[in-house]
Amino acid sequence: MKFALPVIFGLLTVALLAVGAVHPSSTAPASSPEGAVQAMLANVQGHDWKDAYSYISPSSNVDLQDFVKDLNGRDGSLRTYSSLESFTTRPLHENDNQATVRTETKYSTAVGAFYDTRDLNVVKDNGQWKIVWAGEKTPTVPPQVIPVNYLRWDVIWRGAGDDWGSQNVENPHVRILSMNPVSQASGLSIMGEVENEDTVPAFVSVAATLVGKNGQDLGTESSFDRTSHVLLPKEISPYRIDFPGIKLTEVQSARMKPDSMLVPASADPVIGVMHQRIEKDAKGRSVLQGDLLNESGQIVNIPHVLATFYDNSGKVIWVSDGYVDHALLPQTPQGFAVSLSDDLAAKVHSYRVTVNQYSRDWQD
Amino acid sequence: MSSPSISMARQVPLLQRPVPLSWILLLALIVHGPLLLMQLPNGSYDANLHKFFASHYAQHWFNPWNTKQFTGFSQTTYPPMEQQWVALFSHVIGLNLAYMLVQFVAILLLPIGVYRYAKIWVNERAASYAALGSVLLGSLAFLVYNAGQLSTTWAAPLYLLALPYYYEWAREANWRSLLKGLVLLFAAASAHHVTLIFASFIFALPVLAMAIMDRHREPAHASLGGVISRSVIFAVLAIAGVFVVLMPFWMEILINPIKQMTIPHASRDNYILQPIWGMNYFIVPWGAIILSIPYIFIKGLKEARLRPLFLGFWVAMLFALGGTTPVPKWILGRAFDVLTFERFSLLAHVLALPIIGLMVCDLIDHYGRKAAFVTGALAALTFGFAVSWPVYFQNHDPDFNVSEVVSFLNRDGHDKFRYITLGFGSHKFDEVSTYTTASSVDGDYNSARLLPELTQYGSAQLTNSKYFGANGMESLRAVLRHADQYGLKWIFVHDTFYEPLLAFGGWRKTETYDRGSVTLWVKDGIPPAHPMPYQQSMKPTEIEGIMWGTLPFGSSLLALILALALPDKRRRGADTYEFPISESEPVLREAR
Repeated sequence: MKFALPVIFGLLTVALLAVGAVHPSSTAPASSPEGAVQAMLANVQGHDWKDAYSYISPSSNVDLQDFVKDLNGRDGSLRTYSSLESFTTRPLHENDNQATVRTETKYSTAVGAFYDTRDLNVVKDNGQWKIVWAGEKTPTVPPQVIPVNYLRWDVIWRGAGDDWGSQNVENPHVRILSMNPVSQASGLSIMGEVENEDTVPAFVSVAATLVGKNGQDLGTESSFDRTSHVLLPKEISPYRIDFPGIKLTEVQSARMKPDSMLVPASADPVIGVMHQRIEKDAKGRSVLQGDLLNESGQIVNIPHVLATFYDNSGKVIWVSDGYVDHALLPQTPQGFAVSLSDDLAAKVHSYRVTVNQYSRDWQD
Repeated sequence: MSSPSISMARQVPLLQRPVPLSWILLLALIVHGPLLLMQLPNGSYDANLHKFFASHYAQHWFNPWNTKQFTGFSQTTYPPMEQQWVALFSHVIGLNLAYMLVQFVAILLLPIGVYRYAKIWVNERAASYAALGSVLLGSLAFLVYNAGQLSTTWAAPLYLLALPYYYEWAREANWRSLLKGLVLLFAAASAHHVTLIFASFIFALPVLAMAIMDRHREPAHASLGGVISRSVIFAVLAIAGVFVVLMPFWMEILINPIKQMTIPHASRDNYILQPIWGMNYFIVPWGAIILSIPYIFIKGLKEARLRPLFLGFWVAMLFALGGTTPVPKWILGRAFDVLTFERFSLLAHVLALPIIGLMVCDLIDHYGRKAAFVTGALAALTFGFAVSWPVYFQNHDPDFNVSEVVSFLNRDGHDKFRYITLGFGSHKFDEVSTYTTASSVDGDYNSARLLPELTQYGSAQLTNSKYFGANGMESLRAVLRHADQYGLKWIFVHDTFYEPLLAFGGWRKTETYDRGSVTLWVKDGIPPAHPMPYQQSMKPTEIEGIMWGTLPFGSSLLALILALALPDKRRRGADTYEFPISESEPVLREAR
């Protein structure tokens, strides 16, 4: 009897530990196609690549290394700066031996959240549901020499010891070409285009302050990453500035503030945009999609697509942007898609796509 | 020449006697002194946060509004006592050594507190072993040398010192005990608010139970009603006093309740499913105490007298296990996701030590010197492993030099603009904050955050954004989008992960420091920083500043004065003796 209490408390402690540790096995056979996809993604989330790979059908013809690269990224792409944060799954169709499961994944990346939708085929393999993984095929570019004859601007700045008085190199002239406020449920957006009018490259930022009916400032926001910051001479960039929670009826005017600074720049890399078209994506939403082609000889790690949409009169009616989670390999097309609301898509008469880029080597 | 004489006193063998407290304090000096002189805690997680707060008190003792982080925040969001002591000593020995000195005082207070607290339950010998063990606790080493939790290491011993006085007051109605107990309690509350809340239950409830059980124990002859009524008086006075001493803190909480999204922390993980965190937060701090758990369960529950203490230990242990059991979540609800649980190991150990003291007595009685050697070796290994754990488990980046960053911000009017750091970690960011004159949009102490871009997302410091997933990066994006409003011109980057966002967002890389490990990114066209208009209503009033500068620090000073002016009377006949008293041979002693 004298050990009754210690035994009770000991068992209670063990029971509490057991309750806390109840957890399904990370490699348990999936009882449904959706279960297999969920288990695979849960393992990807926990970076348990081997366990995730155990849900891949051998018929996929993809080895563990390539599977990890497909999910974890390669060539310094945005995917290499990301991790799977959450996912949802939905079976699209299913029979006794085969199924298709739609996955909507949210990645945390270096530039913010990144969303991806993918339909996965799942098959019954020896009584277990396994995913047929369509591995990414990287095309092999034949050996070649790519001549580089792009324009480049260097700047010699005034040094600390230079006796130039207050004189320095003058900042480039930039001009707001257009400005169009668009009201939406989430707030007000101001968009348009800005041009570097000068003969030297400019580092450009566009900010706007909204002035209310009573003359008070309602808020200041900047275009942040919805513009190209480095503009070569005569280059035009779209911009979009969002003011969440503000209605157009509250606004009397907007003060635009384009800032420019002379910076060294080069026209390289040249990224071509091909096969642009507005289509519906797998979820039935309007998107502008096409292919990017890196015409230089070096890898572009993170491309960022800016799309400007014009109506019949040539007015900018929307600016949309999207990051591409794959690197642009030299001379290799890579698909992109940026979203567009359905009602705007009906008004679009023409569009223009420009591409920003971040490359590790070139930043240095 | 004198004739031989016979001593009538019985000589008790060394290992059968209580270890003198002075020896225990000497051991603390021997063990911790060199480590502190080497300034080992400088690399601990929170040390620089405490030094950052202290550096502000050193310059603005009566103005708790600090503009160096969060564009401005009130330091009344964190009890100030130990930081004010660091501030005071920093004028004489500098900030780093002042921190070490204040930490050392806390380390010295712990065995004294454990000794007095343990004596409520066990005899003097076992209490002395408990105090001895407290010097070598893995959890203490973890908090001092790894976590840098100066506040917990101060607050816990002060509570332990206060509660025996409450015990005396409840049983004996001794007014001196009431006064000293209350003042020590106020000092403990001034050291750490979280320990105040939990210690009130985990430490104090077992003492209340003992005061009731011991109401007739010599020299007390109290009634049940008397003990309870005096306990109520103590509780009322304690609550009222703590409210007054920390009034600006409560006012701050009232005006700006913590509404931020929850922030992930590994101490809330399930340690069985995440073994690395189990190692970090349980195996390392607990060390050899894990071996004694069966004894604690058996002894603590078999003897009615030890049961309240055991229950306190058991609850503290379940909390120390973080998310390994569902109990903390059940009890705390949403607060579970706000708290961190590493500190509960120390609280659990303090409650276990009196029982462990009994175990050591039993072992020594049975096995003599061998038992003393083995228990001592296990304690030393536990301590050594916990101190050295950061060497084997590096959960933050290697050290790098931020002096060039500080130098840049402090020269040529660069401090007209605000800055943030990315990839520095909160430890290095606090170091920059301490020594620069510039203000940052980012900040380390989560509960002081007011900016909507920081509170609306489930992430902590901007400098650690990537570790909080999409929430962290969205929070960073939101701040960068509002760079104009905050005068945020400078961004110092120690992790290339953040470079794409800055490049796309309109910042340019301009300078490189510390042999390329830190880069400076600049945005042009940013207006100089100005005080945020809404913060005017957040600033503590002048009266609050004066209260903050006097009452918490004053309570610790008063506790010190009372300890010197009203020393405890040595009690005779109240100690617990073991039966039967062992007889030993008279000793022949030659008088000279």
